[in-house]
Formats: sequence, structure tokens, C-alpha cells
Amino acid sequence: MNCESVVKLIPLYYYGELAPDEEDRVEQHIDGCAACAREAERHRAVTAALEQHQMRPSAALLAECRHDLMRAVYRDEAPAVQAATGWGHIRQGFADLFPALFRLRMPIGAMALVALGFVSARFSMPGADLPPNTEANVISSVRSVQAAPEGAPAGDVRIVLDETHRRTVEGSMNDGNIQRLLLAAAHDENNPGVRVESVDILKNHSDSSEIRGLLLNRVVNDPNAGVRLKALDGLRQFTGDPEVRKVLAEVLLHDDNAGVRIQAVDELTSHTDDNMVGVLQNVVQKEDNGYVRRRCEKALKDLNASVGTF
Amino acid sequence: MAQDASGAVGARSSPKIDEAGLIRAVQRGDQDAFEQLVRAYDHSVLRLAMNLLRSEEDARDVFQEAFLRVYRSIDSFRFDCSFHTWLYRIVTNICLDHLRKRKVRKEEPAVVETPEGPLDRMNDFEEAAAHADPERNLWNVQLGQRIAGALGSLTPRERMVFELRHYQGLRLRNIGEILGTSEEAAKNCLFRATQKMRVELGDFQ
Repeated sequence: MNCESVVKLIPLYYYGELAPDEEDRVEQHIDGCAACAREAERHRAVTAALEQHQMRPSAALLAECRHDLMRAVYRDEAPAVQAATGWGHIRQGFADLFPALFRLRMPIGAMALVALGFVSARFSMPGADLPPNTEANVISSVRSVQAAPEGAPAGDVRIVLDETHRRTVEGSMNDGNIQRLLLAAAHDENNPGVRVESVDILKNHSDSSEIRGLLLNRVVNDPNAGVRLKALDGLRQFTGDPEVRKVLAEVLLHDDNAGVRIQAVDELTSHTDDNMVGVLQNVVQKEDNGYVRRRCEKALKDLNASVGTF
Repeated sequence: MAQDASGAVGARSSPKIDEAGLIRAVQRGDQDAFEQLVRAYDHSVLRLAMNLLRSEEDARDVFQEAFLRVYRSIDSFRFDCSFHTWLYRIVTNICLDHLRKRKVRKEEPAVVETPEGPLDRMNDFEEAAAHADPERNLWNVQLGQRIAGALGSLTPRERMVFELRHYQGLRLRNIGEILGTSEEAAKNCLFRATQKMRVELGDFQ
């Protein structure tokens, strides 16, 4: 094996794409050839540099992408889910069912889906007094089908449907019921997309103490960074409030997402506060993120406080 | 000394899911199943698009377009290749279209203005510790620019093969399958890409 062929094989060697005998021959050559060893080292250094500059999507960006995608998917399906009652609804259900079954060439199962409805928020309706412009949809699935049921005229079939009701509720944010639904949706642990959307709406009404309480809760407790970022947005105008500042300090010290800490430090340092010196010094000591650290250092300098602790 | 790259792609490192069952459920119109399927792969798809296009905005577009295509055309998936390969064919085609359209676009880092001057927040996510030292910081910025230039010197296809092998950890055989070419052609493409990268970055110490 000569130097020219070894140089060509070095990248494949590092990527583990050589056959075992080829790999052995490359290793033997490199061990005995200073020029090829240098070439191998150069390749290793370039690889290390590339690793360092790899882009990785943040958790918040991923959450937003998922959310946007599922919204687009629901929009795609929207025309298939129409308000229907009684037989009209069942007919609509079968219109949806049969093309899919013919396309799939699959036998009818005991639980074939009829309408492809999808309820994003799974929560109980608080109370029965819903706003007036409420409409009901029924989402059905076939429980069982039976040919020639006993006692029925010849040629009839019996179909048993399970039905669940979907309601669409519209109203202004001044409506207490709408607010309560959104507050419940903001806690829906099964659907981060619904939580992001709900908090995004609620954050524009953070003058309500109940909503502000929810935002503070979500900032600390929501497992999804996208939700925490939206909640932080809603608290931006209250950075002078001691309770909000306390929560921001907690986030800055303990949140595992750099994007969330960046937003928290921006909000916390937008307000001059001597009481934050200890927190800022702590962050400078332990923070990995350069932007957050520098913002804290600058805030400490502005407060004429030392950057380190003694 | 040689590296093995197994297990580098999204769903492969996730806890076992009944992928075939999920796909069949999506084919029946189950959106919950679709969401689960998306979650198994979405991180690696977004990472691939971000690294290839070096733009968060374009990566978001690719993410949405790719998974919507999957959703709309999943009836045509016949299990004659792995779902991963099928999905990546869709993603790489969309990314290649983007790359070809703009040919070579300069990297657009997420630069923000701060009281201390412009700052690349994207770098902050990845290179936390390096910023303690200003010299190291400068070196990093310069290296980042050189890498962006080196990646820009690759053809869209070379860029794709390099990305799939280097950052996504796919085997060349799988890359050939995704791109509709042979393992040998993918190997040659990777060689050309690494040679160009070495020429562009080899003297950077």
C-alpha cells in the first residue's frame, strides 16, 4: 500500500468504512510513515473542528416546529370533520371510511375509524354554561358490524357506533369561560403544542393576577422549553415585581435550557436591583453559556459589585 | 482508532417503538400515531436541515414540508425499504432543492446586538466554555467562518453525503440508498468532499 492510496483511504478509515483487512493495512502504513501519520493527524484535527461547529436545534425551536407542523396537519384534516347530526353524520362518516378501506385493501376491523377527528386539548369542560355560539360535532368509530342480524329484514346489516362529542367554543378573552378553558389547556400534560398555543394567548392578558400566576407556574414547572419561553414573554412587563424577579432568578440558576436562561437574564438585568447581586455572582460562577455569563458580569459592574465571591 | 457511527440517527437511539404499527395507524388516518412517528425522527431531521442549510428559517421550512409530504403520501409507503430511508429521501430531496436554488449561500448566524457588540447566540449554545478566553473566542469565530467557507465550496451532493456521513452518522450504503446511487458513488463523493475540506481547513491550527 503506497502513500497515495493511504491518503485516499484515511477519511474512510476514520469513518469506519473500510474492510477489516484494509483497515489493518492502513494502520500498519501510518505506524511506519511519518508523512501519512501527519496527514492522519490533520484529518483528525479537521474532524474535531467540524464537530465543535456542528449546529444543533434548541429544544424551543424543535417544540415550535412540532407545533407548527401539527397545526398544519389539523388544518389539512379540517374539511373532513364537519358538523353533522343523526343519519347525515353517519353518512358522512361512511363517506370517509370506505375510500380509505378500499385504498388499503384491508378487512373491516372491529374498531375501524369513521371520522378522523382529533381533539387537541383533553380536558373536562368547566361547568355547563358555555358561551352561546357553541356548536357540537360528533366523532364516531365503528364498534361492531353484523350481517343479517336476528329479527331484521333480509339483507340488512347492523352497525354499532361509539360516539364522542366535540365542541367548538368561541368567545372573547373577557369571557370567564374562555379564560378558564385556556388556563386548563395550559396545563394539558399530554399536548405541549396546546400548552404553547394557550400560553401564547394568555401571555397577552397577564394583567390578570390569575393569568400571571399561571405564567409564573409554567415558567418553573413546564417540561417544554417552548412553553417556558412563551410564559417568560408574558412576564416581561412585570420584571420590577419582586415575586416575578424571584422566579426569574430561580430560572436563571436552575433551568437546563440555555435559550430560557438567556431570556431570563435579559429580563432580570433589564431592571437595576441590588438584591440580585448574590444571584448574579452565583450565575457567573456556574454558568456555561457565554452570553448569560457576560450579561451577569455587566449587570454586576453596573451595580458596582464584584464579579467574584470571596 | 476507526470510528463506528452506529446509532447516530433519531429513532435508532430512541426506546423501541412499534414503527410498523404506527405507520399502519397513520395510513388509517390516526393523527396521534403520526405525532408519535414525527417525534421519533424530528430532531435528526431538523438537525440535518440546519446543518445543511445553515439557516434556522430554512430548516423550519424543510421540517414542515418534509413531514407534511410524509403525512400526505404515507399511503404510498409499501414497507419495501425502511421508513427511515423513505423519510430521508424526502428530506434530502427538499434540502437539495434548497441548496441548488441558492447554490451557495453564506451562513447566516443568529447574530444579536448586545451592549457589548454583536454576538452569535448560536455559537453560545454549542461552545459554552470556550468563551472564557477572548483569544480562544476569536479563534473560534475565525474557525467558524473557515468551516462555513469550506462547506460552501462543496457541491450540493457532496455537501449532502458529507453531512449524512459526518454529522448524521449514516453508513455509506444507506446514504447511497437514500440518494438513489451506489455505495461506491457515495464513497467517491465523500472522498471529494473530505479532500476539499482538508484543503480549506488543513492549515488552520
